[in-house]
Amino acid sequence: MPLYEGIGAITDKLVVVIDIGAAYTKLGFSGEFSPRCIIRSEVKCKDTGRVRNIRDYENAQDLYDLLVDFVHMLYFKYALLSPKDRPVVIIESLLCPTIFRETLAKVLFCHYEVSMMLVLPSHLVCLAPLAVDTALVLDVGYTEAIAIPVCHGLPVIHAWQALPIASQAVHGNLKTLLTACNTGINSISEWTIEDIKVRCCFVTTQKRAQEFSKATPEITTCLEVKYPLEGSRTLTIPGKVRETVYEIFFEEDNDHQCMSTMILDAILKVNVDLRIKLSENIVIMGGTAMTPGFKNRLKDELYKQLKSDRYSKLKITKFKFHSPPSKDNYTAWLGGAIYGCTELLSMKGLSRENYLKENRLPDWANMKDNLRTL
Amino acid sequence: MSYIIGSDVVRYACTCGILKPISKLYFCRHCLEVRCGFCVCHEVDSHFCGKCAENLPSSEARLKKNRCGNCYDCPSCHQQLTTRAATVGPKNPEDPKATPRKVFYLLCLLCRWSSRDVGIPDQSAVSGGWPERENIHANRLQEIQDMYKGIVLLDKQQKLEKDKKKQRRYMSFTDRTGITASMLRKRVGLPDIPHPLLKPKPKEPEPAVAKEDVEELPEELLTKPVNLCEVTTMEQRLVQPEWQPITVEKLFPIHKQLSVKRSQRCRSCEHNVSKPEYNPNSIKFKIQLFACFHIPEVRIVTVEPLRAGKTCELLLKFSNPTQHQTVITFLPVTLEMEETKISEQVTEDKSVVDDYLLEKKQPLSLTGTGSQPSSLLHASLSRQPSITVKPRPIAVPVVADITIPTSTFILPPRDDAAEYDDSGDTHNIQDDSKLVIWRKSNKAVVKLQVTPKEDLKIGDEVVAGFTMQHIYVNTITTVDNKEPQKCEHKVKVFVTLGNLVGSE
Amino acid sequence: MEMQDINYNKSEYVETASGNKVSRQTVLCGSQNIVLQGKVIVQSDAIIRGDLANVRTGRYCIISKEAVIRPPYKKFSKGVAFFPLTMGDHVFVGERSIVNAAVVGSYVYIGKNVVIGRRCVLKDCCVIEDDTILAPETVVPPFTKYSGSPGMQIGEVPECQQDLMIDFTRSYYQHFVPTKII
Repeated sequence: MPLYEGIGAITDKLVVVIDIGAAYTKLGFSGEFSPRCIIRSEVKCKDTGRVRNIRDYENAQDLYDLLVDFVHMLYFKYALLSPKDRPVVIIESLLCPTIFRETLAKVLFCHYEVSMMLVLPSHLVCLAPLAVDTALVLDVGYTEAIAIPVCHGLPVIHAWQALPIASQAVHGNLKTLLTACNTGINSISEWTIEDIKVRCCFVTTQKRAQEFSKATPEITTCLEVKYPLEGSRTLTIPGKVRETVYEIFFEEDNDHQCMSTMILDAILKVNVDLRIKLSENIVIMGGTAMTPGFKNRLKDELYKQLKSDRYSKLKITKFKFHSPPSKDNYTAWLGGAIYGCTELLSMKGLSRENYLKENRLPDWANMKDNLRTL
Repeated sequence: MSYIIGSDVVRYACTCGILKPISKLYFCRHCLEVRCGFCVCHEVDSHFCGKCAENLPSSEARLKKNRCGNCYDCPSCHQQLTTRAATVGPKNPEDPKATPRKVFYLLCLLCRWSSRDVGIPDQSAVSGGWPERENIHANRLQEIQDMYKGIVLLDKQQKLEKDKKKQRRYMSFTDRTGITASMLRKRVGLPDIPHPLLKPKPKEPEPAVAKEDVEELPEELLTKPVNLCEVTTMEQRLVQPEWQPITVEKLFPIHKQLSVKRSQRCRSCEHNVSKPEYNPNSIKFKIQLFACFHIPEVRIVTVEPLRAGKTCELLLKFSNPTQHQTVITFLPVTLEMEETKISEQVTEDKSVVDDYLLEKKQPLSLTGTGSQPSSLLHASLSRQPSITVKPRPIAVPVVADITIPTSTFILPPRDDAAEYDDSGDTHNIQDDSKLVIWRKSNKAVVKLQVTPKEDLKIGDEVVAGFTMQHIYVNTITTVDNKEPQKCEHKVKVFVTLGNLVGSE
Repeated sequence: MEMQDINYNKSEYVETASGNKVSRQTVLCGSQNIVLQGKVIVQSDAIIRGDLANVRTGRYCIISKEAVIRPPYKKFSKGVAFFPLTMGDHVFVGERSIVNAAVVGSYVYIGKNVVIGRRCVLKDCCVIEDDTILAPETVVPPFTKYSGSPGMQIGEVPECQQDLMIDFTRSYYQHFVPTKII
């Protein structure tokens, strides 16, 4: 690359890369290796004064107002940049609801007048820091866990698997388990429950889990924790709760599905030739995947599920996992930052004029964008 | 005081349809419209550090990742860290010349965290010199980034070449004469261009290697008691996204985030409505077009206890903030925002998803419409014209009717010297005594009749509204009109009168 | 809302030549070190510790009931030294608040029950909401709103804060009238 272009890239093009998740939003600049900040996806509502999650909207107008305030906070408190006439990269899940992405596009283009917007699917771009083009991506976030295989740089969307077993389900489970030995659980805020979960709980090994599922377990649980709440109140978190709160990930529900079956079902839906390659390239991302003991247990569960009858067709013998050069909760963001610093932004990004002509974002689910050109 | 802390009782309707108290509104002198924080365009003016009040130019701010170089925040409670000095004995105790030196460490005054807790050695300089940490994956990621840049650039160039190659229509030199380009090159003595397929391809980054082993559950979790003071909370972890330490010993101090000064710009005429000074400590403004300096302020003095269906008295105080006399007229209020004159002459885009339409501003559409001064500039060529959004209907339930008085009243100009002059009011103004009860310099108290609707229940909040029309003197002089122009400006005012006390 | 008249017992307050209205029930230590610039209201049961160091307020300041204005100290190896406390013009200090700041700028609004830590610096046009506790040596930048314990920035203040505070303190002073004996 000529030298002058390198200098121009440093002084002018600051591209903001935003990954809005259900619980946390990652914000940073392209070309950097970690986001500048990871903040909660909530904003203070102007009418009521309460703090609201941006996913709790009532209608499109309400979402528009919430997103205007949220994007204002992102730009003027964290990124410290004027959004006008600057490009932005948005990373979203492939299963993001249309109303959310359309409203976000309208807020960015019409209210904040960004010059160009590039929307990247998180499951695809998370492979960029690994420099791999075929992998099975499992994203365990707040609302749901999604597994989508990516083959030769293309997400195989028809093989998608999603289950609502993620942080939100764990919080609910934790609340029910704690109500048995404590009072006043319902008055605790969601963020305190998250703190309890992060600091005290973990995913136990398969052997121990099997012992716990028996009627009279014979092993000693880990020690209990006394968690202080405000004032002099403390919560007692028994050892069994600490170890078994994450078991909902691995217990099969009524449809006989759980996290391990999800991965194997996704592999089953892909072409036979690629199955072995996918099983040897598994990428796990998402904040919930950072729980101590999660990856080890998932590996054990996968091997266990392989032995059952319904997966006898799958001729896989071993599973291999990637460790991305980032923390799991911002792997997708890092991929977006790498994409954002290349020329892809100017080639594939949607400019403001084009958006105002069409008034919609290109979407993989929309037939208009799927016409094959010869 | 209610503007500083407290609920907004009197709210004005901005041109975009949102209700705001007068303290949060701006007034654009060029469009003669009220603007609020929602409909102006915010821009970052300058960066500064909140603690050391030092201005940073934007390039330096970018280099330092929007963080101050000197100030640090406590990683455990997020308050500001101070530098403390300690004396250390001389290195060589036997040498009589060696003096005890001063070393500095960082200390948080709230939670008592110090830089010594994480093992950072004390520094001998007051500021700077604190060790910085680097991302461990930086090298690998830089390599991947550069390689991807190269791949995409090559892709782009190939695409451009393909587009160019499609356009050949004429017979080439080779077709006519039979001499190819490579023969000519050999003849002239230039080196041969290698075939495109033989060109070295950009290096693809080495793919990561997947491993069978994953990190195991640490045994200590099963056996050791958990000391919650040693485990970091989510907030402590997320403040440092690159490292996200799990234990308190790895919590390093973080550079303090910078703050910005913002300027606001009206979207339709591209003029600034508010521009602060550069100095972070200064509270003055280079441009301050706040509504409280141009539009008469309305305050509630008293209101009779409200009863459904019964006419109650309401006393409102009006004060004129400008240097010119103004006449206030009352008009009835409608909840629909009228289309401003700008939007009438603009084509509308059809949209499928949303309720309200988008309009694109045409730069030359603002020709001579009544009271608007013709000095409105044709949109500057360097900026793209702003997009104005159609105003939304006012979302407040107006449940009480105000009987609109037919008479108008005059408000004298604001006179700052009158505060010190006790000689009394020199304005002799004939007033409708039923309307204006009290007067003093630029203020007047007006009596109005309010009738809450009959179908309200006890305890319902009563909101009433009216349109206030005042004469605004525009002091901007232009080429065409050298004298200040007078124009009538209307603004909708909504007052929240409290809860219904009883019924008829 | 328009401010209502605040009545006080005429015998309880002393009005000086420069317009300061000081209650007799206040504890003013070291009154020779206290400088009230003019039109300042000090309400009953307030404590101003002028004996520790100089205290200087600007015009139109309002110190509400039971507030404590105490200059901050700094520990040296050879002992403790107290630093003078300066307040700017048009400052409102709410009831039962304790101000240990080193510098309070102009046009500052301090709410009720606030504890301003020692050696804090409050710049002009900031708002400290009720029940805030500011950590020692915090610097509060202009046009910010602090709240909570420990005090963190929760928002911004509208740009016309200067005018709002001028209006508020002036009208407070004008409405602070003695009860009329009929």
